[in-house]
Amino acid sequence: MIRLNQISNSFTYLQKIVRQSGPAMSASYSLIAAVILLGVLGYLIDKWQNSSPVFLLCGLLIGLVVGFYEIAKIIWGNKNK
Amino acid sequence: MSSGVEHTDTHAEGGFDAGELIIGHVSNSSSEHPILHLPTILGIDFSVTKHVLMLWIVATLVFIAITWTVRRYLRQENPVPTGFMNVIEAVVQFIRDSIVLPNVGKKYLFTWTPLILTFFFFIISANAIGLIPIFDVVGAINRFILGGSAHDHGLVNNLLHGGATATGNYNVTAGLATITFFAIIFAGSKTHGFIQHWKNIVPSGFAWPIYVLLIPIEIISLFVRPFALTMRLAANMTGGHIAILAIISFVFIFAGVFQSAIAGIGVGVLVSVPLAVAISGLEIIVVIVQAYVFTMLSAVFIGMAINVHH
Repeated sequence: MIRLNQISNSFTYLQKIVRQSGPAMSASYSLIAAVILLGVLGYLIDKWQNSSPVFLLCGLLIGLVVGFYEIAKIIWGNKNK
Repeated sequence: MSSGVEHTDTHAEGGFDAGELIIGHVSNSSSEHPILHLPTILGIDFSVTKHVLMLWIVATLVFIAITWTVRRYLRQENPVPTGFMNVIEAVVQFIRDSIVLPNVGKKYLFTWTPLILTFFFFIISANAIGLIPIFDVVGAINRFILGGSAHDHGLVNNLLHGGATATGNYNVTAGLATITFFAIIFAGSKTHGFIQHWKNIVPSGFAWPIYVLLIPIEIISLFVRPFALTMRLAANMTGGHIAILAIISFVFIFAGVFQSAIAGIGVGVLVSVPLAVAISGLEIIVVIVQAYVFTMLSAVFIGMAINVHH
C-alpha cells in the first residue's frame, strides 16, 4: 500500500533531480541548436557564394565548438563548486 | 519522421497523397487567402491565418480563465482556494519554488516569477488546445452533416482545415524565445549594470589570446539559446501530430495498395487506431513536459545572467 507521504517524498525527489538537471538540459539543447543553426547558416552562405561545402563544414565545426564549450562550462562549473 | 512521410507518399495510390494530407494538416493556412484581411505595416502582413486565430483564441482563453478565477478568489472572504483556483495555486507554487527560486534566487524571485508563469500557462494551454481536433470536427460536420463538398473553396476547406497548434508554428515559438532573449539581457543589466552584464558574458582571468576565441563563441551562444528554445518547442509539437497522421494514413494507403476496403479497415483496427491512441496519450505527456522545459530553460538562462559564476 503506497502511503501519501511516500508519494510526496517521490515528488520532492523528482523536483530535486529536475532542478539539478536544468543547466545540463540547457547545455545539451545548446549543442544541438548550435550545430543546426551554424550548419544552416553555412549552407545558406555556400548557396549564395557557390562555395559548397566550405561554409557548411565551417558552420558545423564552429557549431560543435560552441556546443561543447557550453557543456564544458557546466562540467567545470560543477567541479569548482 | 520525414522518411515515414516520404514512404507513405511514394506508395500512395488511388489519388491519396499522404504527404500532402499531413502537410495540409500541420502547416498554417495560406497567407494569400487569410481568414481576416488586415493591412501590411512595415512589410509585416497582419492578416489573420489559422495559427494566428488559434494564438488569439488561446491568449484570450488563458487571460479570461486566469484573471476571472484569481479575481473571484481575491473577492471571497474564505482564504481557502476552491475549484480551479486550487490548480492555479498548485502550479504557481510549483513554478515559483521548483523552477524560479533555484535558478534566479530569492532577491529577484518576484521580479521573474510572473514572466515564467505567463510562459507556462500560455504554452501549456496552446499545446493542450492543439491536441483537440477542433477544425477536423468542423470539417467533418461541414462534409457529412451540412453536406459540403470536399473540394469547394469555402472557409472550412481552405482555411480551417486540419489541426492547429499555435506553438507548432516556428514564428510563435520564435516570438516567445525573443522575449526570453531580451529578458536575459534585461535581467543581467538590472542586476550588474548594462556594461558589466556584457563583461560578465565571458569568464575573467584568462590571457588575452583566449578572449579572441571566447568572445565570438559566447556571442554565438547568446543567439543559440533562444534558437534552441524555438526549435525544440515547435518541433516537438509538430512531430507528434505528424506521427499520428502518418499512422492514420496507413488505412488509406493499404486500402489503395490492395484495392480493398477490408485491408484498410483491418490495418486501421489492428495497427493505426491503437498506435494513434497510444501516441495521443504520449502527446498529453509531451504537452506538459514541453511547457515545463521551456519555462525551466528560460529560468535557467535568466538565472545565469543574474548569478554569474566564473
